[in-house]
Amino acid sequence: MSANHEELTVGESLRRAGISRRGFIKFCTATASVMALPPWMGAAMAEQLRHAPRPSVLYLSFQECTGCFESLTRSFAPTIESLIFNVISLDYDDTLMAAAGDAAETALATAMKDNFGKYVLVIDGSVPTGAGGAYCTAGGRSAVDILREAAQGAAAIVCVGTCSSFGGIPFADPNPTGAWPVTALVEDKPIINVSGCPPIPEVITGTLLQFVSTGQVPDLDEHRRPKAFFGNTIHDRCYRRPFYDEGKFAKSFDDEGARNGWCLYELGCKGPTTHNACATIKWNGGTSFPIESGHGCLGCSEPGFWDKGSFYAAQSSAEWGKAGTPSPRRALELGGAAVAAGAVLGVASAGVSRLRQHRSEQDAADHNQKEG
Amino acid sequence: MSRLTDIPIRIGPLGPIEPPGGGLGGGVAAILSELATLLERLVRGEPPGSIDLRSLPMSPRDRAELQRVLGDGEVQATVDAQGLSKMRETRVSGVWWVEHFDQQGALIAELLEVSRVPEMLASASDEMAAGARELRAHITASAASLQGGSHVRQP
Repeated sequence: MSANHEELTVGESLRRAGISRRGFIKFCTATASVMALPPWMGAAMAEQLRHAPRPSVLYLSFQECTGCFESLTRSFAPTIESLIFNVISLDYDDTLMAAAGDAAETALATAMKDNFGKYVLVIDGSVPTGAGGAYCTAGGRSAVDILREAAQGAAAIVCVGTCSSFGGIPFADPNPTGAWPVTALVEDKPIINVSGCPPIPEVITGTLLQFVSTGQVPDLDEHRRPKAFFGNTIHDRCYRRPFYDEGKFAKSFDDEGARNGWCLYELGCKGPTTHNACATIKWNGGTSFPIESGHGCLGCSEPGFWDKGSFYAAQSSAEWGKAGTPSPRRALELGGAAVAAGAVLGVASAGVSRLRQHRSEQDAADHNQKEG
Repeated sequence: MSRLTDIPIRIGPLGPIEPPGGGLGGGVAAILSELATLLERLVRGEPPGSIDLRSLPMSPRDRAELQRVLGDGEVQATVDAQGLSKMRETRVSGVWWVEHFDQQGALIAELLEVSRVPEMLASASDEMAAGARELRAHITASAASLQGGSHVRQP
């Protein structure tokens, strides 16, 4: 995070950090593997990046718990963050940077000016708009104002975590701070949502790496998530799926079914409707994922996951999904006129969410009818 | 039940329980067929190819079967770069089983590479050029040292 590294190519930066070309090829190969890219893409990405200057990345943290950043920087291998930080030029990150106060704010302003139109803006956390944005400020400015300014010069915005992607827990009913996801406030920039509470570190790294190596926004799903990671549901790739197909379900966390590793659907697993890569990439260096540890999926990478009722209610139960979508009207009242344009987008997306929720309830009713 | 020792303990089988049918099989026959196609292309002069084993939901049974059919060949190589990478040619010439480990020894990528030599082993042009420059500089410095002793006066 220093100015004198700005002109370095990725290859030179890696060399100075003691990371060889072969080590970098290996990193890119592993990244291509988790992204389900063709295997040759790893070496191609490495070759492309090695000769390119490091792209500027600004990492802004708003209404968040720092869990997403912890997921990235405290991931299984100490090398993953050293590699990614040698590939990018992280010009601003208030969690990591040594600078503070005016020096930090100057660094942000300088990086935005020098790399206008080229930098990648990473947003962590939702953006509170209530009380004129007073719930989250840095350097005397509200998160809304900082976001709007920083977004202007961004080549793309990467929302890391469910809070910046979909509002997350701050957006949950009753949304006391008038929190919104980035998509509700910025409409004229490419936005990539890397949701999850937190996201899998390899998913964050892979998304950033693919964007900086190709300069292209990857294929996205309807919620603007990279299809490479969010194209399948947890249920699609779950190793317990054959038990579901055979109708073998654990009925409690300590019964015979649980001990036999049967499907956790009836214990509230949200795997069937949750799009993420936990079942394939897994966590902690591929050690396991929640279902492998005996607990159902919470659905943390889906919009409104916190408001969909009990984590332990089966999706076929009438309870699931009813608590539902945060009230956009309430958020509007809190946010006031400051987010008028964004609020229009927010209301539209909430309308879509309600439609989906209605469909889910209909599906659940149909399922119950069949079961009955 | 007033003591911890009163809680019944039951020790289950170690490791993950394999679902019926061995899980979502990746299809050993399909992998072998793809390898054959990639080998035929390579022989015709087309570029090397590879299959990412981690993207296939293979059961332990599938893996064992794949390893049994491919077997071990004559060549093995190890690269020490950000953790070990192990490459061994299988009994099928041109099919390399490549495993990449991180510095903690965890497997981070596993491929079947179809090539004359695995991509990672080959030296890069820019690095070879740098090596040539380094050798030339060494030769020049050695020659100067022989002519003028160890203390060469700079012009």
